[in-house]
Amino acid sequence: MKDRTRPSLLALGLMASLTASAAGVRSPGMLANTCAGCHGTLGASAGEQMPSIAGMDNGYLFSVLSDYKTGLRRSTIMGRLMKGYSDQEIWAIAAFFAEQPWVSTDRVARADQIRVGREIHERQCESCHEDAGRAQDDDSPRMAGQWSGYLNYALETCRDIGRRCHPNKMGERVMALSDQEIEALARFYESEK
Amino acid sequence: MTDVQRRAFLKSSAVALGAAMLGVSPGMSAATPKARVLVVGGGFGGTIAAKYLTMADPLIRVTLIEKDPVFLSCAMSNEVLSGERDLKDLTFNYRGLARRGIAVVQDEIQEIDPVAHFIRGTSGNRYNYDKLILSPGVSFRWDKIDGLTQEVAERFPHAWKAGPQTLKLRRQLEGMEDGGVFIIAAPPNPFRCPPGPYERAAQVAHYFKQHKPKSKILILDAKDAFSKQGLFQAGWKQHYGDMIEWVSGAAGGSVEGIDPKTGTLIGPVEDFPGQVINPIPHQKAGALAELAGLTDASGWCPVDQRTFASTLHPDIHVIGDACIAGAMPKSGYAANSQAKVCAAAIAAAVSGMPTPEPSYVNTCYSLIAPGHGISVAGVYALADGRIVEVEGAGGVSPSDADARIRAVEARFAHDWFRNITADMFT
Ligand SMILES: Cc1cc2nc3c(=O)[nH]c(=O)nc-3n(C[C@H](O)[C@H](O)[C@H](O)COP(=O)(O)OP(=O)(O)OC[C@H]3O[C@@H](n4cnc5c(N)ncnc54)[C@H](O)[C@@H]3O)c2cc1C
Ligand code: HEC
Ligand code: HEC
Repeated sequence: MKDRTRPSLLALGLMASLTASAAGVRSPGMLANTCAGCHGTLGASAGEQMPSIAGMDNGYLFSVLSDYKTGLRRSTIMGRLMKGYSDQEIWAIAAFFAEQPWVSTDRVARADQIRVGREIHERQCESCHEDAGRAQDDDSPRMAGQWSGYLNYALETCRDIGRRCHPNKMGERVMALSDQEIEALARFYESEK
Repeated sequence: MTDVQRRAFLKSSAVALGAAMLGVSPGMSAATPKARVLVVGGGFGGTIAAKYLTMADPLIRVTLIEKDPVFLSCAMSNEVLSGERDLKDLTFNYRGLARRGIAVVQDEIQEIDPVAHFIRGTSGNRYNYDKLILSPGVSFRWDKIDGLTQEVAERFPHAWKAGPQTLKLRRQLEGMEDGGVFIIAAPPNPFRCPPGPYERAAQVAHYFKQHKPKSKILILDAKDAFSKQGLFQAGWKQHYGDMIEWVSGAAGGSVEGIDPKTGTLIGPVEDFPGQVINPIPHQKAGALAELAGLTDASGWCPVDQRTFASTLHPDIHVIGDACIAGAMPKSGYAANSQAKVCAAAIAAAVSGMPTPEPSYVNTCYSLIAPGHGISVAGVYALADGRIVEVEGAGGVSPSDADARIRAVEARFAHDWFRNITADMFT
């Protein structure tokens, strides 16, 4: 996918950096450190269903966290948490994690699972999640090296809501996947580093 | 302590965890440290304070002093009671922190001199500080339930500090015959882990359901309401029918005494005999805080909630269960979050920077049965010097969530444990 410039994001970022040292403003690190109890130190998760969030694209993180806040993106707990932050703060948090290094899991799945997963990926997913899910931009996440537990959960959630899953082209494809196919895809991405 | 004294001490100290690391860590061998910070208590609060201070500024010399060689987590210890988990899974060592350049020392602190800025341990060693952080957890009030003394608690375990007490309670539950009554006496607020007694009831019910299905669980409560009450009560009913009965304070559940001879808890209206009895004592700040004169009439430590500096001795910071932290509950997650705020405040102070604006979070997951998790979350900010919950955020899991979501939350609960302990010990 192509990078898109988001004027609103740029404006927010500028605002956040201008006011970062002003009284009453909470620094990016101060805000982001509260996430580590669930997502791991600096956003590198110890597993297995809890996603790593370090090193994701700034714009992607901002929109995902905003979507949790508004409820556009389903969640068990992120929605309850993100409602506690202003848009400027969410921007600062996103920028903080975008600067941290991505850490892949050290897991590698069985060859047969990887084969099934790769085959589905190449047919249905590679067009948007290029380079076996390694590519990322402000619209879509890195998946290579992510915990399969999380990918599984995210895909099941997407399948549950079908066409309402964002983006709906993905929802349509995920809707048709079986449990085994979802598991194979999750293992495939996890095994790519 | 000078470096010579420090070396002498390390040699003499029976167990100086990570001592080998001391000489080689870059933070320690560098020029004069910016400040010497001592952290006492290597639990949910102390480990994080030590680690995030070194992350914030490697020129701060950080020493973590803990009385025990390893840490045993209370969080997830209710799963030991149900047999779902081994105590070994809850045991952590301090090598990861030593690798970060933190001097980890085993000693029990028994004296604090806030004026001369030093503390002393049972080893006889003296440690000087510029800033002191205490995260000693809770201690028990042995004067609140008639007949409940520390000795009696050896036979009727509270299991509110993980370790031998947890195993003792587990063995008693294993030894109980089918059809027996297990009684938990839940303490009044404030206390460590508000959902803990109710999660415990569920975990023990899970064990009974498999092995002793005719048994009963009675919760005698000093309170009239409790954390995640609706979710707990619905979950109990769903999995265990009416095995668990809760008696509120108003209904006579407030336990006033114990008769150790007959194994009976004495209530204001009625007495309650049980086969296994788990009286959880009323609580106050860890003994060390009291000894240092850091507690007020409530038994807890008043602090500046922006920095966790004691309002009684400003160069001593108190975090975790022991401190009074506005609207935050006494939980491991809260201690973690407070430790980070405290570390940031101290790092700023020793560099002459303005005190940072704080942000805090709490989360508590509870497990009602395998594959059934629930949670509560809170986001907090400072307003007029007090920690308050940000309105519109936080709250508990939805009451109408389906089985898949409950199962997903149970897995997130275990992942929370993986990540928070990795945050503490790696
Ligand atoms: C059954 C149960 C279940 C729980 N479940 C959860 C949960 O799911 N989630 C959650 O967030 N919280 C949970 N908690 C609460 C959590 O355990 C506490 O809130 C947390 O431990 C508080 O951290 P702390 O740093 O204040 O104290 P602690 O973690 O207890 O650390 C205190 C440390 O200080 C040391 N110490 C004390 N005095 C001295 C001294 N004089 N010298 C040297 N060292 C000393 C102790 O040995 C200890 O290691 C649970 C608690 C219980 C009892
Ligand atoms: C209580 C534990 C908890 C805390 C605290 C927490 N998260 Fe999450 N996070 C989760 C869970 C669980 C999910 C999966 C979505 C859900 O069910 O809520 C998640 C999902 C996410 C995702 C989606 C990842 C992806 O690949 O799309 C991001 C991004 C994220 N969290 C960022 C954060 C940030 C930033 C913070 C701190 C401001 C934070 N989280 C605090 C538990 C937590
Ligand atoms: C039309 C482009 C497109 C296609 C095709 C597509 N995706 Fe996605 N995918 C996206 C975008 C965009 C997102 C980010 C969604 C968001 O912002 O919430 C995403 C997110 C995801 C996520 C993370 C979701 C979360 O909640 O963290 C997973 C996992 C995923 N895709 C897997 C797949 C798989 C597997 C396929 C093939 C079956 C697929 N995608 C096909 C565009 C696509």
